[in-house]
Amino acid sequence: MLEEYIPFVGEETIQELILISKKLKDLKVLHVNSTYKGGGVAEILNSLVPLMNELEIKTDWKVFRGDERFFSFTKKLHNLLHIPCGKYINSDEFVYYLKITFENLKEIDTENYDIVFIHDPQPMGLIIKKHPGQKWIWRCHIDTSTPDPQAWNFLENFLNAYDACIFHMPEFAYERITIPIYTIPPSIDPLHPKNIELSEEEIKNIITKFGIDLEKPIILQVSRFDRLKDPFGVFEAFKLIKKKYDCQLVLVGSFAEDDPEGESVYKELLNKTSGEKDVFVLNLPPNSHREINAFQRGATVVVQKSLKEGFGLVVSEAMWKGKPVVGSNVGGIKRQIVHGITGYLVNSIEGAAVRIKQLLANKYFRDEMGFHAKERVKHRFLIIRHLRDYLILIYKILNQKS
Amino acid sequence: MSNPFVFKSELWIPRYTGIKVCSLKELIEALKIIDKFSIFYHMYINIFNYHNLPTFYTNSISYWLYKNGYLLLAEKLSVIDPLDYFDLEELRNVLIKTIKENYYENMNEKKGNPFYFITAEREIIESGRIAHTLNEFIEGIKKSSINSLFYHLVTSRIENKTLINDYSAWLFNMGVAKKAEKINKLDLYSRNLYEIKKEIIEILESKEC
Repeated sequence: MLEEYIPFVGEETIQELILISKKLKDLKVLHVNSTYKGGGVAEILNSLVPLMNELEIKTDWKVFRGDERFFSFTKKLHNLLHIPCGKYINSDEFVYYLKITFENLKEIDTENYDIVFIHDPQPMGLIIKKHPGQKWIWRCHIDTSTPDPQAWNFLENFLNAYDACIFHMPEFAYERITIPIYTIPPSIDPLHPKNIELSEEEIKNIITKFGIDLEKPIILQVSRFDRLKDPFGVFEAFKLIKKKYDCQLVLVGSFAEDDPEGESVYKELLNKTSGEKDVFVLNLPPNSHREINAFQRGATVVVQKSLKEGFGLVVSEAMWKGKPVVGSNVGGIKRQIVHGITGYLVNSIEGAAVRIKQLLANKYFRDEMGFHAKERVKHRFLIIRHLRDYLILIYKILNQKS
Repeated sequence: MSNPFVFKSELWIPRYTGIKVCSLKELIEALKIIDKFSIFYHMYINIFNYHNLPTFYTNSISYWLYKNGYLLLAEKLSVIDPLDYFDLEELRNVLIKTIKENYYENMNEKKGNPFYFITAEREIIESGRIAHTLNEFIEGIKKSSINSLFYHLVTSRIENKTLINDYSAWLFNMGVAKKAEKINKLDLYSRNLYEIKKEIIEILESKEC
């Protein structure tokens, strides 16, 4: 499978991966997160774990189990780590977190591994089973730069027992952390159905199936129906653009059945855009990977106007398809887009409208920025770079002087 | 007969030092104390962070200055060619001196976007390829990654405390001084390492020198 990446990253890069992996041969590595399906973490592990095994680093992936009560607490914890919101963690929740952790300790064998990666806060408590000689790494996928103090204290109980932690970018790391902090951005897999090459015919068939005119420029935002992704702001920007440009707006997303907020945002959006013939609000089923891929490839300009964002890998997905992205100057979006080179960073609806217009008007800009956008992803945000970072990290941690 | 050339490569992982600064004064103070491989990361490795992009500045400190409105300082720092230095402590002093020379007390307001000091935890690996002759050397470079080029053109100079890169040093020993000189004069920070690799191969295959 590794050789399938050669066309994207070159044979020399794969050779170097093999060389570094030889130093880690026969090592046993475990990844633990809280779901096999859905979400960016599972998607990355789906690609990463087989590649590590191919490099003869015995790597397993186990899932931490919990019930609704547990996950509703960890969801609250997640939100509190992101930003204080006036909620509190009570003793019952703390005790229940420990109870579920102890139940998982019986199911998840962590003893036979040299390196254990724990992803996000849900399985963090497993650290109590750490053995001497093992190295445990906490991989945090959340922006914890301004956490609720109580939530942080909760986390810190476990965090300081880890050997290192990883954040997507230094901005996400809270300043009170005392263990080593590595910065490893997430990645996309060029072999995933979301990112593979599609034929012109397939792109055309998918897009026209929804009544979209391929002859007219397409402005696209792909995101779940969530107010923080600001689809309403994108629509406002579109109205400013539409005064001079005959173009279409496509808002593609999905919402989980159990997310009432998603459904209400979707309905409100349908309602708001109902009189506009060139606006398409499409609620696609989960796993519509090829469809999303086709929309990104068929778009003229891609937008990601989030009000708040974790890393926002959907930006890299569009950039990988040679599209300039107009994105908000927040979270990981500002790490992916190099302003004026691979797209534009904007701070308002008006800013988004101006930049989208510039791109609609100038094919040269679109082509040039699209080219650089793809180059940026090729060097910074593909799974092979991610894998290489993990291998070096493992090597460094194992050889750390205490 | 000269020693064979051993092709190596350099990989690294970025580690956040925990030091972030929001003003020029804090930047100067941090530059005095940070790990020297943090200087290495921001001044040398930065070439990879924006690789292949026609960016405005050659290092991330200049970018931060630019984003915060210190345009003059951004230019002054970006003209510092890291390849003029093999001693990271000397480069540290040059950075501090340049900022101090262009710094006034009224420039000390705190900025909203902090600068985060990252350091590089590096690992050097041997590729297993060795060259005894010029032809083997050319073949070795053709098979080299840009990380390998970076090691031999940049890091080896710091490790060996010399302004002559590894490739050129070996070529001088082989008696091909003109090729060695040409390669040593390449401006790595104005192009990307793929283009540099092509140019090195052209120089080596050229019959003119």
